[in-house]
Amino acid sequence: MKPIATLLIGLFCLLPWAGAASPADDPEYVRKAALKIDSYVAAWYRQKKMAVPEVTNDATFLRRAFLVTVGRIPTAEEARLFLEIDDPAKRTQLIDYLLASPGYSSHMSNWAFDLLRVTDGKSGFGGTLEPYRDWVRRAMESNMPWDDLTRGLLAARGNSWDPDHAAVGYYIRDRGMPLDNLSNTARIFLGSHMECAQCHDDPFGGPERFEFYQLAAFTNGVREASRRPMQKIWDEVSEDDRRRTLDYSVAQVIWDRVYGMSVQGGGTGRIELPQDYQYRDGEPGEMIAARTPFGKTVRMSDKDNADDGREKLAEWVTTRTGEQFPSVIANRMWDRVMGRGVYEPVDEFVEAKETHLPALMNHLVQLMVELDYDLRAFQKILLNTKTFQFVPNPEPSKVATGDDFHGRQLERMSSEQIWDSLITLAGGDPDKKPRRGVDTRVQIGGKPLNLGGKDMKKISEEVLAIDSESEMRTYFEALLEQVKKERSGGGGGGDGMMARQAPRYGGNDQVRASELPSPAPRDHLLYVFGQSDREVVEAASREPNVSQVLTLMNGFVQKQLVNNPGAHLYKSLEGASDAKEKIRRIYIAILSRPPSEEEFRWMLDEVNLSGDDAWPNIVSALVMSSEFLFVQ
Amino acid sequence: MNDHLKLDEFSRRRFISTAARTCLGVHLFPLLGSSVASGSLISGAKAKSVIYLFMAGGMSHLDTFDPKPKKKDVMGPLEAIPSKADDILVGQHLPKTAEVMNHVCVVNSMTSKQGAHEQGTYIMHTSYAMRGTITHPSLGAWAMKMAGRINPEIPGYVSIDASPEMTGGGFFGAKYAAAPIGSASEGLKDSRRPDHVDKEAFDRRLALADRLNQQFHDRYKNADVKAYEELYQEAVRLMNSEDLKAFNLNEEGEQARKLYGNGRFAQGCMLARRLVEHGVRFVEVQLGGWDTHYDNFGAVEGRCREFDQAYAALITDLEKRGLLKDTLVVVATEFGRTPEIKAEHNNGRDHHPSAFTCLLAGGGVKAGYRYGETDATGSRVKDAPVEVQDFNATIMHALGIPHDKEIYSPSGRPFRVADQGKPIMDLFA
Repeated sequence: MKPIATLLIGLFCLLPWAGAASPADDPEYVRKAALKIDSYVAAWYRQKKMAVPEVTNDATFLRRAFLVTVGRIPTAEEARLFLEIDDPAKRTQLIDYLLASPGYSSHMSNWAFDLLRVTDGKSGFGGTLEPYRDWVRRAMESNMPWDDLTRGLLAARGNSWDPDHAAVGYYIRDRGMPLDNLSNTARIFLGSHMECAQCHDDPFGGPERFEFYQLAAFTNGVREASRRPMQKIWDEVSEDDRRRTLDYSVAQVIWDRVYGMSVQGGGTGRIELPQDYQYRDGEPGEMIAARTPFGKTVRMSDKDNADDGREKLAEWVTTRTGEQFPSVIANRMWDRVMGRGVYEPVDEFVEAKETHLPALMNHLVQLMVELDYDLRAFQKILLNTKTFQFVPNPEPSKVATGDDFHGRQLERMSSEQIWDSLITLAGGDPDKKPRRGVDTRVQIGGKPLNLGGKDMKKISEEVLAIDSESEMRTYFEALLEQVKKERSGGGGGGDGMMARQAPRYGGNDQVRASELPSPAPRDHLLYVFGQSDREVVEAASREPNVSQVLTLMNGFVQKQLVNNPGAHLYKSLEGASDAKEKIRRIYIAILSRPPSEEEFRWMLDEVNLSGDDAWPNIVSALVMSSEFLFVQ
Repeated sequence: MNDHLKLDEFSRRRFISTAARTCLGVHLFPLLGSSVASGSLISGAKAKSVIYLFMAGGMSHLDTFDPKPKKKDVMGPLEAIPSKADDILVGQHLPKTAEVMNHVCVVNSMTSKQGAHEQGTYIMHTSYAMRGTITHPSLGAWAMKMAGRINPEIPGYVSIDASPEMTGGGFFGAKYAAAPIGSASEGLKDSRRPDHVDKEAFDRRLALADRLNQQFHDRYKNADVKAYEELYQEAVRLMNSEDLKAFNLNEEGEQARKLYGNGRFAQGCMLARRLVEHGVRFVEVQLGGWDTHYDNFGAVEGRCREFDQAYAALITDLEKRGLLKDTLVVVATEFGRTPEIKAEHNNGRDHHPSAFTCLLAGGGVKAGYRYGETDATGSRVKDAPVEVQDFNATIMHALGIPHDKEIYSPSGRPFRVADQGKPIMDLFA
């Protein structure tokens, strides 16, 4: 163990590195792999006859590395430690430290939530998508390989309350709109835009409507479990005069939160062309068989319904589309680390040979495959390159279709990075708080019930095993009795259960964006700074607007940080010998660097003028500065 | 280039503190942050402002403003009711709206080729198809660019409950983007100086931040960095404006509250009216949840409950205050929904871009008028199709913005306010 890593680990409690062994655990492998990438970039400079940019200073590297990997600025303690230690290997060690910290998966979860449009619920849906959100969150935490994650989502079936099957939320999210779901699948995992072909052929030679339906046939027949045993009971309790009764609330648990949160139908492999089908290659209503539009062809029968279409689709996406599947994810990771995709937009696949630096893109594809789609290992290599360490570039890329490899482009922090950084200043390392969990208890009228330990997972298993109405009636009556008993004080003991539940956080809690409601409420700072509403793929915005500035001047920042004497930031000033030292500490905490001589003068002037009132003014000014808001 | 940026450091700082202390700054620099180009507007245009109500998710035309009462298989359980305008029927869940239809112009022949939400929403807001290489300005940004602000002290473009991606400035830059409001009842959050911070301290904070920003901007010439610098000026001006009260719904009386109702969308409509009253050029209010693939009839009933009273109140209120004649109220959506009812999705309706309905009211358009027609099942446009671009050109024409004026993007490509669309002149009174 290298000295700085030991120090950092000593200072902060770390989780052990999760997941299987990777070649990227070997420092020598990482060094060589990073060097290889740099050599391709260097070749680009030679070819374009351009000077190689300088490597940036420690302070800029520190802040950039934190924001890119764990999505927040360093705490004052972390910053001081890194800046003060004199060790040539400290950058590599910092990357190891960051990738092993829980902040890494928090930051990755924000990315995955945007990409997969993960929300806690949706309008008109009586169930909850939180088990699915938790599945994605856990997948990031365990660093699930990207191909496994893809398969897990596309082939998911079962019930949401079973943590191993909660990926079914991928389909529940798009209940009633399987074709849109498929378009998103193509876009997310393969960088193929097929949404237009839902209705018509692409006039520019892209996907045809027939091909779209052939692909849709793989996923056809996704449905909820049959509600037949429950139908009659539901109709009875749904009569107007019974809608306010406990019977109705208990029936809702079964109707919306068990059936409504189940996914069956593995994909029939056949689908009917729509009634408005307009081309000569098929008739409206004609049954056609599943067939993949590119890559190694996979097809299914148009004669009989199968039940494994989605597994076949998942297999094709992850293993039979040539460079397409690894390229799209490799490029997305490049975008995350370097600030811009090798090709842009990142959701439109480009063959390596068509990019402006084919050798690099080819290599990245190979590397992704070699690392078995281990996204953390892949990012580790990129973070260790010189290319990542170039001085910031304020200008837009000179290559319209991708990265010009001329240093990370200056860009405003994402909404989540801003929030996570602000709560770091207000409360210190936010990853010491436990992450959000799923409340699996039965909820009646918004109140959780204990029911002798019978939770939604258990109830789901029991309900889904029932196939006759009479059996269901018995089950329903018994459940109703149990609920009545506990509500009248009989079954009690809810408190004990409560303590065992993992926490859920509301909009006002100062926890990581990844643990807040998804999306955050509309009056939240996250919304003001452009968090995605997670209705469409990657809809986050970094556009400046006047409300953001008002928030920084007068809102959350003032209340929770500047004018809050208990803020972590102010604690770090304790024991400072003089005003100059205080100014230095404030700079390190907020901007991760010491002030320049000129800045010292400005701030000392302020101290002379305002006395003790100077500190909130200085803190306020620093947080309002563009240097705070932008990733360099 | 704004004049204040040319001033020396001392004047700059003095400007900021002056602006912070009084609203004098506004009179000294009346055009700050806006570019009023009124000279190039079409004369005789009636509308000054636009209230753009966007029904996100794809509002079913059949269950709202294009019912087909003779076709039971298309209508399912839903019935049509007569309205205050002869010849115009509306869905049964819109009883209050029915009472104001004599002010409304219904465009039943909207048609589009974009059948996915993102693409459909994008083209409705920008008139252009989504491209990976460029972001087009939204309608409100065009209105700001071409017509400028009416009131220079408050934002000219405000979005309520809308998505920041669809209300952006596009290649015009952040200066033209909407000021977003997440919750209408809270108004423009944080627009007052914190209680415990006195004016002196507040000004000094700004001056310090300004120095830091100046330094950062000198180091990195970057459009977004500059945008933030300018936004501070704007924010200070706004904080000191008398018209800040435009954002405060608490000033509305009991009667108005009763008229609009308590829903979230209702608050948005009420706020939109206040904003227009105070000279905001373009307000978008969004009402989501129209993506009724599953249980269409239950969902439509719920959406109409949100919409009906609020919309009727808005029209009534604007009319009563004499504002309807120069305010164009638009109801738009990204597409309609299929005449076919999907039994397997609990009677759902899917996306249907080839025929849908949008509404216009006030701002010089015909009242109680129905334009265009769909076939017997509401599946195709039978008469007078209106492309998205034509519809947007019509909105812009109402504001006096010429549809054929070319504006160049920073990369030198020519764009028009509604691409190749032309205003539908028959819609104007």
